[in-house]
Amino acid sequence: MTFKHLFSPLKIGKVEVRNRISFQPHLTNFAVDCLPTERHMHYWGERARGGVGLIITEEMSVHPTDRAYEKLVEVFHPEVIPHFRRIADRVHEFEARIFAQLNHNGQQCDGTISRLPVWAPSPVPDVLFRETPKEMEPEDIEEVARYFGRCAVHVREGGFDGVELQFGHSSLARQFLSPLTNFRTDEFGGSLENRMRAPLMFIEAVRRAVGDDYTVGIRLCADEMIPGGLDLAQVQEIARRFEATGLIDFMDLSIATFYNLYLVEGSMHTPLGYTVPLAAGIRESVKLPVFCTGRINDPVMAEKVLAAGQADMIGMCRALICDPFLPKKAEEGRMEEIRYCVADNQGCIGRMGVNKLLGCIQNPAVGLEARWGEGSLRPAAVKKRVMVVGGGPAGMWAAKMAALRGHRVDLYERGDELGGQVLIAMKGAGRDEFGVIARNEKAQLDRLGVTVHLGVEVTEAMVLEQAPDAVIVATGSVPKAHPVAGADGPAVFNVWQVLEGEAEVGQSVCLIDYDGHHRATSTAEHLADRGVEVHIITSSLFVGAELGPLQDLYLTRQRLLQKGVTFTPDIAVMEVTGEAGDKRVKGFNVYSNEWGEWGPYDSLVLAMGQEVDDRLYKALKGKVKELHRIGDCVAPRKVDMAIWEGHKVGREI
Amino acid sequence: MTANGLSVVVLLREVLDPRPPVRLAGGGVMVREPGPRRLVNPADLEALEEAMLLAEGRGARVTAVAVGPGRRLEDGLRLALAMGAHRAVRVDGPGLWEGDAVARARVLARVVEILSPSLVLAGARLLDRGDDPAPALAAAGLGLPCCTPVVSARVGDGEATATRKADRGARDVVALPLPCVLLMEGGAREPRYPDLDAVLAALGAPVETWGLPELGLPERAVGEHAALLRPERLVHPRPDPTPVPTPDPDAPAFERIRTLLSGGIRARAGRVHEGSAGEVVEGLLRILEEEGLLQGAAP
Ligand SMILES: Cc1cc2nc3c(=O)[nH]c(=O)nc-3n(C[C@H](O)[C@H](O)[C@H](O)COP(=O)(O)OP(=O)(O)OC[C@H]3O[C@@H](n4cnc5c(N)ncnc54)[C@H](O)[C@@H]3O)c2cc1C
Ligand SMILES: Cc1cc2nc3c(=O)[nH]c(=O)nc-3n(C[C@H](O)[C@H](O)[C@H](O)COP(=O)(O)O)c2cc1C
Ligand code: SF4
Repeated sequence: MTFKHLFSPLKIGKVEVRNRISFQPHLTNFAVDCLPTERHMHYWGERARGGVGLIITEEMSVHPTDRAYEKLVEVFHPEVIPHFRRIADRVHEFEARIFAQLNHNGQQCDGTISRLPVWAPSPVPDVLFRETPKEMEPEDIEEVARYFGRCAVHVREGGFDGVELQFGHSSLARQFLSPLTNFRTDEFGGSLENRMRAPLMFIEAVRRAVGDDYTVGIRLCADEMIPGGLDLAQVQEIARRFEATGLIDFMDLSIATFYNLYLVEGSMHTPLGYTVPLAAGIRESVKLPVFCTGRINDPVMAEKVLAAGQADMIGMCRALICDPFLPKKAEEGRMEEIRYCVADNQGCIGRMGVNKLLGCIQNPAVGLEARWGEGSLRPAAVKKRVMVVGGGPAGMWAAKMAALRGHRVDLYERGDELGGQVLIAMKGAGRDEFGVIARNEKAQLDRLGVTVHLGVEVTEAMVLEQAPDAVIVATGSVPKAHPVAGADGPAVFNVWQVLEGEAEVGQSVCLIDYDGHHRATSTAEHLADRGVEVHIITSSLFVGAELGPLQDLYLTRQRLLQKGVTFTPDIAVMEVTGEAGDKRVKGFNVYSNEWGEWGPYDSLVLAMGQEVDDRLYKALKGKVKELHRIGDCVAPRKVDMAIWEGHKVGREI
Repeated sequence: MTANGLSVVVLLREVLDPRPPVRLAGGGVMVREPGPRRLVNPADLEALEEAMLLAEGRGARVTAVAVGPGRRLEDGLRLALAMGAHRAVRVDGPGLWEGDAVARARVLARVVEILSPSLVLAGARLLDRGDDPAPALAAAGLGLPCCTPVVSARVGDGEATATRKADRGARDVVALPLPCVLLMEGGAREPRYPDLDAVLAALGAPVETWGLPELGLPERAVGEHAALLRPERLVHPRPDPTPVPTPDPDAPAFERIRTLLSGGIRARAGRVHEGSAGEVVEGLLRILEEEGLLQGAAP
């Protein structure tokens, strides 16, 4: 397949971008002392090398009152310039272009970090940060405009190719534009003309500061998707008016607000390309190049959107966090080598709000490109015969990395397909895309000539007989056999049995959720989809306690409610009793200490934890030349750690 | 066309049972064997059922022709005989089926030429690969009219009338002069279940095997030599994303979000008919007839 549109160049303002793929702005938490770092340079450099046309940096702060996160770059300090230069040089080395995203987050900010009052058009707190802001005085607005201008100069001096002003889902500018957050009665509020006044001042200040021969654009929120907020029709008008000033060169788009953040980084439960109609709507109203972003994670879809005239530029954020080389692979027709993002949100956005460094469950090298980036893999000095036991994500990654380094690798899996628990996880309601994690790697194993033995249960005797140079045990974990008293009684099942279709659950089920993650909720939904009446009991404050940072909580709860699932939180379950058809759950409220009994249910489903399957490891310990243990069989965790450890051992063995 | 009335040829093709997962081998150019279950394409068996109904009604003579490599298809032919087919022919030979649809169409065309039936029937789609252009290409090569996907067919004197599926549940009714090729939509009929006597009788019945000599085709005219396209690589397809519909800007935010998240799949709205039991039954029959789903019922 050739991508005629995707790989045609585009003139954006004064710069020519070599193709239609833009690495969209996203926080990284890589900044140190509010300055860009080497980590940033290698991170963006890797994407430039991977063939992306344009890079837009993470949002960077233009003013001291804007500290939404601990680790932001503050562009108003001139110290950023030499750092920017190093970054720009690296990106230009690979013929990519780079814009800086400049932002003031307004009310979507944390004054306890900046130790300053939060600034906003009106004193209404943001739903997430919940801090009542100071209503900006006209001189505050002028000050922010001045700072925008100053920062843009720093960006230009730093050798970047352009600036993007964040007027999108999290920005002071949007708060001025939107009737949701702007209740002013002066010349900055009321009519659309007035509401556009402050954002226009920001644009004018930037244009004045950088001159006419520099590229400036905005990222506009195409639809706030909240009652009383901006909708597409209003934003079309706003877009037309911004364009009419002649001061901007492109229109990047985002969607939603912090009321509905789950729409900003749509998880696998949102359709691919879910914002395409909005981009198409804006593109109808303006002539400037329009960007479309949101779950466009593969070049085929990107090409279709461009060919259909729905956008001029395709924004890919997570797709390139996951595989920096997606553009190059697509251009060279190496489609089956692309590692597709699955929108689980665990490794990237899931780590941002909690102050961890950006990562990706499928790409251990994120943020560590200097050490683990392209070209860092060295052939093994001694070529070994490596035996990998267990075809889950840990085993597959270990096998892949070892094979890449020239080892002779045999991968053993007792099941008849590679993937391990991923194959079970993908059977949960709406979790099909999780299976792509395994699919991505299968293709690589084929390509690298790893010998895969399916349907073979590896025993101690087998290993000793084959006497490989190194053994990597990745035998995974299984549901806890006896997580609670009575678990061995009749009609008590675990999540695996339900998802594998091995459980006769009857018509009413109580699911005990000690997981807080998709393991529990996607199983509950799976049952509800089949007409089963489901009640969930959890010891947490609410069901799906781990899903918030992944932007999956809202829609999961919505779907469960729509499907008639009911919840009891706060309960520590101590015993399950009764016969099939008359199952009961006994426990106490962890806050009030009151005991209670729930039931009767036809059956019970337990999501109450995993235990390691380390039998092979223990049997082999001390008996083979070189023994490694990785993934869930070390301690039951999640895919990110399985892949991390598989990657690491494959590199080091 | 045979002198004493209608003759029908039904093509039987083998497909992979898509339920057990398929594994690739040889660096992705082959499907790994053994393991996958194979069966006669269900839509082809339905076409055979249609042929048997014609045979019963019009005294047609039915020839089942197995097209595709391997002896396994002989089981399919014996099933066809048990279901009532009069003659069974297996067409196979070294490399005969290794080419693309164009190459396979050439062989099919030759088979039809030799048997010169009034009607050729086959399933419109293969259970595993979906479309098979070969029967339609063969029809084109022979200059025969071809109709697909056919939900029901009637055969009159020198003419067939086929009801074919069109967009959005609509139906076209097409008249074709005989001889012609009809590719039958699956799911419209249930192939008959042969009784034990018939199965036992079929076990001993003759199955003809035709190779290149019987077909009278030179080796260079078939298989890989005749193919225009060569497979480079087989990969599992990525699921196709469903397009997202544009939300109505006047709708409330909750509805706009719902539209964006719907991914475009909406169940077709049903119609509700009310009335007495008799009226409802009559209404239902009328709909079934309009949709071309009823056959053999009194008008
Ligand atoms: C329903 C469900 C939902 C989940 N959802 C998520 C999620 O949303 N996000 C997330 O990050 N994680 C999730 N997980 C957890 C995740 O799947 C696991 O953490 C991960 O698969 C662990 O990988 P692994 O390779 O270490 O082990 P496993 O995936 O357990 O693989 C081990 C493999 O080894 C094989 N094996 C064992 N012993 C032998 C032997 N002797 N010989 C040959 N083969 C052997 C097993 O058959 C198995 O295939 C979920 C798990 C489940 C069950
Ligand atoms: C970790 C992370 C951080 C983000 N931070 C920003 C940001 O600082 N500014 C911004 O405009 N968008 C931000 N976004 C939104 C992305 O630019 C993009 O719109 C979104 O991820 C959807 O695109 P995708 O499906 O290609 O990932 C962020 C996204 C992620 C995943
Ligand atoms: S962590 Fe998941 S959602 Fe985030 S980039 Fe990686 S694969 Fe995509």
